[in-house]
Amino acid sequence: MTRPEQDVSIPVRARDRALRVYSRYSPAVLLLVVFSVEVGVGWFVIRDWHTAGVETRQMYARSVLGLRQIGDLQYQAQETRRSTLYALTTNDSNLQVAYADQSRDADRRVTDGIVAYLQEARMPTEIALGQKLQRDWSAYLKVRDEVLASILEGSTKEAVDMDLSGGVPSFDRVRQDLEEVKRLYDEQASEQLALVDASSHRSIIRLVSVVCFTLVFATFSVWAIQRNRMLSTVQLAKLQMDFVASISHELRTPLAVIQSAAENIADGVVGGKEQLAKYGSVIRNQSRQVTEFVNQILLYAATRDRRHRYVLRPLAVSELINSVLRNTAETVRTAGFGIEQHIDPDLPPVMGDLAALSQCLQSLLGNAVKYGGSSRWIGIRAFSQEVHGRREIAIAVTDRGIGIDRSEILHIFEPFYRSAAVSAAQIHGTGLGLSTARSIAEAMGGKLSVQSKLGAGSTFTLHLPVAKQQHLPAAAEPPRRDAIAQP
Amino acid sequence: MQPWFRRLIVAAAAVSCLYGVGMIAAEHGSDEPEPDENNLAIIVNTANPIDNLSLPELRKIFLGERAHWPNSRRITLVMMEPGQPERKALIREVCQMSESDFTRHFLNGVFTGEVFATPKTLASPVGVRKFVFNVPGAIGYLRAPEVDSSVKVIKVDGHLPSDKEYPLHILAERAAR
Repeated sequence: MTRPEQDVSIPVRARDRALRVYSRYSPAVLLLVVFSVEVGVGWFVIRDWHTAGVETRQMYARSVLGLRQIGDLQYQAQETRRSTLYALTTNDSNLQVAYADQSRDADRRVTDGIVAYLQEARMPTEIALGQKLQRDWSAYLKVRDEVLASILEGSTKEAVDMDLSGGVPSFDRVRQDLEEVKRLYDEQASEQLALVDASSHRSIIRLVSVVCFTLVFATFSVWAIQRNRMLSTVQLAKLQMDFVASISHELRTPLAVIQSAAENIADGVVGGKEQLAKYGSVIRNQSRQVTEFVNQILLYAATRDRRHRYVLRPLAVSELINSVLRNTAETVRTAGFGIEQHIDPDLPPVMGDLAALSQCLQSLLGNAVKYGGSSRWIGIRAFSQEVHGRREIAIAVTDRGIGIDRSEILHIFEPFYRSAAVSAAQIHGTGLGLSTARSIAEAMGGKLSVQSKLGAGSTFTLHLPVAKQQHLPAAAEPPRRDAIAQP
Repeated sequence: MQPWFRRLIVAAAAVSCLYGVGMIAAEHGSDEPEPDENNLAIIVNTANPIDNLSLPELRKIFLGERAHWPNSRRITLVMMEPGQPERKALIREVCQMSESDFTRHFLNGVFTGEVFATPKTLASPVGVRKFVFNVPGAIGYLRAPEVDSSVKVIKVDGHLPSDKEYPLHILAERAAR
């Protein structure tokens, strides 16, 4: 178990710190941003395609269909005049009437076409042009009616004169109007084409911009991830070196004491039963300390091994706590601590591995002894609570010791982490206790939380899920002591 | 039989008769008299201000002895081809001639200059109607049911073809035949 220090990590610049925070979430962020950007790009492209399609269809409808309409109008206008002139070519009244009929049919189609054009016209220029065409066409039809009447009456010369003097000029005006309408359609088509071109150009710029942004962002993210990995590797190497140095130091002291005591006994320096008992006690205590260190390292290694499997079963909370208290009774008593425990009655059983949970709580209790300060008081409280609609059992271990600085709270669960202040205070530890405890808690489906105030003490709370109904029959069985196995 | 019972029967019979007459009248439609399909309607262009012509005036026109309408439009005669019952009826009832006299009249009139215009000859009633529709000064004739709104029917001696007193009938022509 460790205590946080001010800064045991490799000194990093503010940029690296920011990168580390960023890159902790960077793969997910990268994926999210790239996905979002891709969706955005897709949306933009689809929208632009749709817009371009709509604009093209409108352009086609307004220009191509409009030109076809105007072409039809021109043809029908010519047909009106042509049929009138055909009537001049015969003296047969029946044929003349048939030609007059054809001319009137064609003029009706032209009149309808002009009305349709006026209905579709939106711009003032279009409306004015349509009205002028309507006027000129009506003027031509008046002349045409007179010419037809003259032809049918048999006054061919009069009809020809009338057509030359009135019909030709008025029909020319109609033809000019139709040409003007056609020119207007051409202009509008050109404008629409320019708009579609602009829209297409805009789409390409947008697409290129977004792709460039995506590339830059992805490059930056990859760089950040790589840099963070490098920093993490370097930091891990430093931590491991610190760990090796710390362990060596922690092992060297008790081993030196044991060696010294053993040499004294072997050399016959120690005499008398009382002296031997004292040396035996020293050797036992130092051996126990070494064993504890080795056990912690093995336990950490076991929790890091993903192949490790826990045996989860319903456990009575009081049994669990009593087991922990029994295992740590001597340590607590030796350190001169008193334990105040409060276990709520009728607590439901929890799901967990007895050995692992015992180890976890023992680690918390050991920390409370180690960092409990001069108060010599440890509180253990077990209670039930509901978090986000889910019932859980909380086992809180509280001390009134040195507490943890707020800046170190985030680091104390990192493996091998030991604060400079704790190291300076010659408080021994591996820096693995809390990391191991949290791994165990999470493996049980729970979590480990901490509340601490510098100089006032800390509370570490183990949150465990309540055993489900279908597991309850097994809860009736007494917890197996032999289940407390070293992982 | 009691007198009151006899009066009741007479009253019921009278009511039944009145009801029957009313139903028959209702079945036969409106107050507007239907034009007789054998009446010969005289038609002009809708722009022609003339509404009524007497039989002598009509005769003068159809014999080509009148050149212009009161609005100074030139009169154009429209006839159907020889042999058609409408033409026969017009020549007999308006011109009071036979077909050969009518033809001769125009040949002679054109030669002497007494006739201002020879009639235009069309093959069908539809052709006649369309011709009159197209020519403001045209005058022609059709069976009364063949008339539509594209042309105007003028009264003859103050009577429309739907009137009983209307003087021009194709039926008489058929009977004569």
